[in-house]
Amino acid sequence: MDSSVFHICGLLSVAAAALVVTRRNPVYSTIYLVLFFTLISLEFLILRAPFLAIVQVLVYAGAIMVLFLFVIMLLNLTPEELREDVSRSRKVLSGAFAALIFVLLAAAIRRSDTVRDAPNLVAPIEDPGLAKAGEAPAIGTALFTTHALAFEFSSILILVAIVGAIHLTKRRGRAAPSGQGAPAQGTGEQVQAAAEASGT
Amino acid sequence: MIPHLSLSFCLYVSAALFAIGVYGVLSRQNLIVILMSLELMLNAVNLSTIAFGRAFLPASPPDPSGPQVFVVMVLAVAAAEAAVGLSILLAVFRKWRTTHAGRIDMLKG
Repeated sequence: MDSSVFHICGLLSVAAAALVVTRRNPVYSTIYLVLFFTLISLEFLILRAPFLAIVQVLVYAGAIMVLFLFVIMLLNLTPEELREDVSRSRKVLSGAFAALIFVLLAAAIRRSDTVRDAPNLVAPIEDPGLAKAGEAPAIGTALFTTHALAFEFSSILILVAIVGAIHLTKRRGRAAPSGQGAPAQGTGEQVQAAAEASGT
Repeated sequence: MIPHLSLSFCLYVSAALFAIGVYGVLSRQNLIVILMSLELMLNAVNLSTIAFGRAFLPASPPDPSGPQVFVVMVLAVAAAEAAVGLSILLAVFRKWRTTHAGRIDMLKG
């Protein structure tokens, strides 16, 4: 049961990924990306990583996808702006390069003794401690004991990302001379986008 | 017949997803889709990490949650990357009125 679900999810996720990179309209790409993340989450569930399956749906399908959709809505692109005019030779070359990477990886997987001798991934786990290795208590304990340093560094990384995102999207003073006198500058991106739309 | 799921199938799926992500980054010109292709590649790597962790779970007594913690870190990096990447995209769009990667060829703001 588990293995057949995984095989179906694996093939579907490859199909969803192919649809993501081939759709012309980024909104469709985003929708297929949500499907892709959900399928990856199911695969995590079968590989005994229930915590990561939940986090995958929350962070990727929930937060990152909403961010992408917000940006697409803010940009408000017209069909002319979405035209890419990618030359055929460029598509063929990038396809060939991607195929080369896949062939190299597949050759490495095929020849590896470690992979060939690996046990069945859906076999039951006898040791109760190991069976719970993918659940929230075990991951939380590992994060705050063994990997505490990496955890603290990731918090610094996210802080830098927040500050960087605010700095990059903040409207500069000289870019909008008319809005300088107002005490309350537009805080949200929507306000700025609305101002831009009314200005042009 | 005992249900069987081999590690190599997971790795083949992961390699295919990574290759599709590479194709997206190389062939597309829309910056939003390029960022999405980066997410595809990160997920491919996560999938192979989890598959390896599951396969060699009985052989890893000191730190059985190690692969999962690694994937959590990758998730944090991916979230930071998406936030910064999309805000760069917004700044670029404000300056040049385009998200076409081929038209952003000046190394100055």
